[in-house]
Amino acid sequence: MTKTGAGSPSAASAQLDGGIDERALQAEIDRIGREISSAEQPSAVRHPARAIDRRAMALASRDDELRIALFRLIDVTPACRTAEDLGRHLASFAGELEPSRGLAAALRLADTRAGRTVLGGAVAAAVRHTAHRFIAGETPHAAAGELGERWREGIAASVDLLGEATVSSDEADAYAARCAGTLDELAHLARAWPAQALLERDSLGALPRANLSVKVSSLTAMLRAQAPERGVADAATRLRPLLARARDLGAHLHIDMESLDALETTVELALELLEEPALADGPSAGLVVQAYLRDSPVLVERILTWAVRTRRRQPLTVRLVKGAYWDHEVAEAVQHGWRVPVFTDKAACDRNFEVLTRRLLDARPLVRVAIASHNLRSVAHAIAWNRLRGGRDDDLELQVLRGLGDELATTLARRGTRVRVYAPVGDLVAGMAYLVRRLLENTSNESFLLAQEQGVPLDRLLAAP
Amino acid sequence: MTLGPFVNEPTLELRSAANRHALRDALVALDARLPLGVPALIGNDRGSAEGFQSCDPGTPDRQVAHAGVAAATAVNAAVEVAVAAAPTWAGLPAAERARILVRAAAILRERRLELAALEVRECAKPWPEADADVCEAIDFLEYYARGAIELEAGRPLLQAPGERNTLRYAARGVAAVISPWNFPLAIPAGMAAAALATGNAVVLKPAEQSPACGLALVEALRAAGVPNAALALLPGDGQTGEALARHPAIDTIAFTGSSAVGREIMRTALETSTSRLKRVIAEMGGKNCVVVDADADLDEAVPALLYSAFGYAGQKCSACSRILAHEAIAGELERRLRGALRTLALGQADDFATDVPPLIEAAAQARVRRYAALAETQGRIVARGPQAPTVGWFCEPLVAADLPLDSPILDEEIFGPLVTLEPVASVEAACAAIDALPFALTAGLFSRDPAMVAAVAARLPAGNLYVNRQITGAMVGRQPFGGNRLSGVGSKAGGPDYLLQFVEPRVLTENTMRHGLPLT
Repeated sequence: MTKTGAGSPSAASAQLDGGIDERALQAEIDRIGREISSAEQPSAVRHPARAIDRRAMALASRDDELRIALFRLIDVTPACRTAEDLGRHLASFAGELEPSRGLAAALRLADTRAGRTVLGGAVAAAVRHTAHRFIAGETPHAAAGELGERWREGIAASVDLLGEATVSSDEADAYAARCAGTLDELAHLARAWPAQALLERDSLGALPRANLSVKVSSLTAMLRAQAPERGVADAATRLRPLLARARDLGAHLHIDMESLDALETTVELALELLEEPALADGPSAGLVVQAYLRDSPVLVERILTWAVRTRRRQPLTVRLVKGAYWDHEVAEAVQHGWRVPVFTDKAACDRNFEVLTRRLLDARPLVRVAIASHNLRSVAHAIAWNRLRGGRDDDLELQVLRGLGDELATTLARRGTRVRVYAPVGDLVAGMAYLVRRLLENTSNESFLLAQEQGVPLDRLLAAP
Repeated sequence: MTLGPFVNEPTLELRSAANRHALRDALVALDARLPLGVPALIGNDRGSAEGFQSCDPGTPDRQVAHAGVAAATAVNAAVEVAVAAAPTWAGLPAAERARILVRAAAILRERRLELAALEVRECAKPWPEADADVCEAIDFLEYYARGAIELEAGRPLLQAPGERNTLRYAARGVAAVISPWNFPLAIPAGMAAAALATGNAVVLKPAEQSPACGLALVEALRAAGVPNAALALLPGDGQTGEALARHPAIDTIAFTGSSAVGREIMRTALETSTSRLKRVIAEMGGKNCVVVDADADLDEAVPALLYSAFGYAGQKCSACSRILAHEAIAGELERRLRGALRTLALGQADDFATDVPPLIEAAAQARVRRYAALAETQGRIVARGPQAPTVGWFCEPLVAADLPLDSPILDEEIFGPLVTLEPVASVEAACAAIDALPFALTAGLFSRDPAMVAAVAARLPAGNLYVNRQITGAMVGRQPFGGNRLSGVGSKAGGPDYLLQFVEPRVLTENTMRHGLPLT
């Protein structure tokens, strides 16, 4: 077997932090990456339906026009009141495509009411099917079985409550109440789960079984990018009781990151509340760093400085993600003439992900670290760095998204790595924005999963970005 | 000098705390200089700066500027000076005038923080919108500078053997620019820049509510190289504007403001067209409607409607005044709007947290309150914002419903934070109601059906139709702006056709036959 591909270091290998040799790191990444990859079963064997999904995704990612029409159709599906109405929308979107796409038959079908009903019914079923791939259930209760099953397989979860946009205080209250109820329910469910040492403890102490992710934009209708203090003040009235509840239940509360417009509000709010004396002993809580942001290293330093100062009994968990609002951030910046806040070069973004992985892992025990990625290289890099730095396997957590990282999660769990699945819960209407984001990401030409699906050689997948 | 392609001036990224601090500092510096003095500027003469005041609408006893009133004699003097200066200015190559306008843009860019602060104080424009207005003023200067260079080349004509045909555009002469206070820099900058770029001399009469913004514009243009004689500033009230519009030596009147004043200007323009036909470019009011179809994404529609109806307290000509919602979702929309209105922050324009600032003046507050009282009598208020502060010309944001079809609230421009919500049986019914209005400025549609979007676009007469977004915030070069019917003459500011209003076409046809030979 040859040494790794394009990105492999040349003869003079550089030293990284902690005196670790770049070549040694690459060798370890190669070894771990290959192990994971060979342990992952081809998905078609286990989930024939998923193979069909993936073919559809691959098709969509090759054809931008079709992809956009498809996503717009999915987006409007829950707003259509009848199958016929949905069929009419399908015909309307199809009418925007080049006529040469074999859609002529479908369009002819849409000429009659009965035909539209048939078409609409088919679309609704397809969208439901796709939604089920990414969404664990309509309610926490409905997802309970799956959460328990995964726990028994050695996989933890963080539940995310999908919701409509919050435009009023009543809606923010309702979301907070759902979160409170879900915390209760998860804590109750988790009591019945069997012991799983790897999922429940790291070298810093106990890890909660119940884990809920919340969104600040759902906790307040007063989020204003130009006045973060307004959103902080309003959301604090709802987040503070949730944090106290999580503390009392021994649950973990993770504060998700959204678009850049919400970043300052989210960070201010989380750091401010977690510093309050009443919350000094708990709960276990977390924040997210999006590596696609050019300024993400600054945010990491800000969090670490805060952690040095506050020394909470339960260290903050930092979830490192690539970031899911790339298209939005680029479009918004270009429309306003602003500097694009995200990396537009995939390799630069991947490199930043690795720099931040190392920075965060090396900052332990100030923070706990969760590396959330489906990119085999990023995952192998985190595991490799942890090992080379002498870290214990249980002091690193890996996270994946339901519907995208399921096989990876299974493989990682079997290898004895702690892995947590991000499991959205909610109805289809509420889930549509999430669903479209996931689909966009998954069909983007830069998607790691797509590259893997298309058979890009392992050498290239594991090469340094 | 060749100018690069036009790009919109980037607005300040206000999610950056550093930018917010810079603006606050600029405001502190400005406050220390208040009140500013605004004299009439005619040629090299400066008039008195005592006559009337502009005040901070949020704190009415804070005087922002003292301005002189340009009386009839000053108007006559300004026009005479402009008439004399016009041929020299028109005689410059378009590229030379463009260079001056681009330099003026650079001056505004340099002063952008201070100018945004001035808009905050003089017009109670909240920061994001004040900054955007400064950027739009810069955009107009840059955009028309380029357009005028292009226009100078004329347009190609058919040619036949033995003759040579050329079409050129010449400046019309002297333009009177009469501008409103709601975009206190951008709108006068746009009208003046278009006139100047094409070689006209300009006499500017800014709104009496915003004389200091008018002065800032004239100062920038003059400092950039527009000769003093080719650009006059006449602060004053309606009488000053009327005297200017009636002056027989005026060739072009560029006006943005109310429909009543605009139509009066058109009438008197004809009466006073004794030696030339005055051209009136009028951009006037609207009664802008947004249609929300049954398949709309209300998560997007609600915030967009709030901003369209209540941003700058509804005081934009493009603001949303009527919401026509498909009956399948009208109840849900009403419920969500009711909750959403309570989240709006009424406050001072200088507070970054403010969603709805005060109205411009006491008379505006009284007018909107009259409409609100009528809405309560004729129908019902289904949603209201938080209570208005007592100091400052605030009005609480309202949504009214169940109004009789002949209610004036449904067809008059209110220009304040009052919007109506009506259920409709279909989008077609909504379009019919909109089509029955005398105005046609902006309109909005929330729909996720491409066929419906196409049908509504074909059906509505609005000058600007916005789909699945807010209906305000037109950008130069991207959304040429202006209305049809009683809303305006369709001249489309910030678009490729706008400059044609400021020029007269001249065709030269030369016989090139000599001794039976076509010599072209």
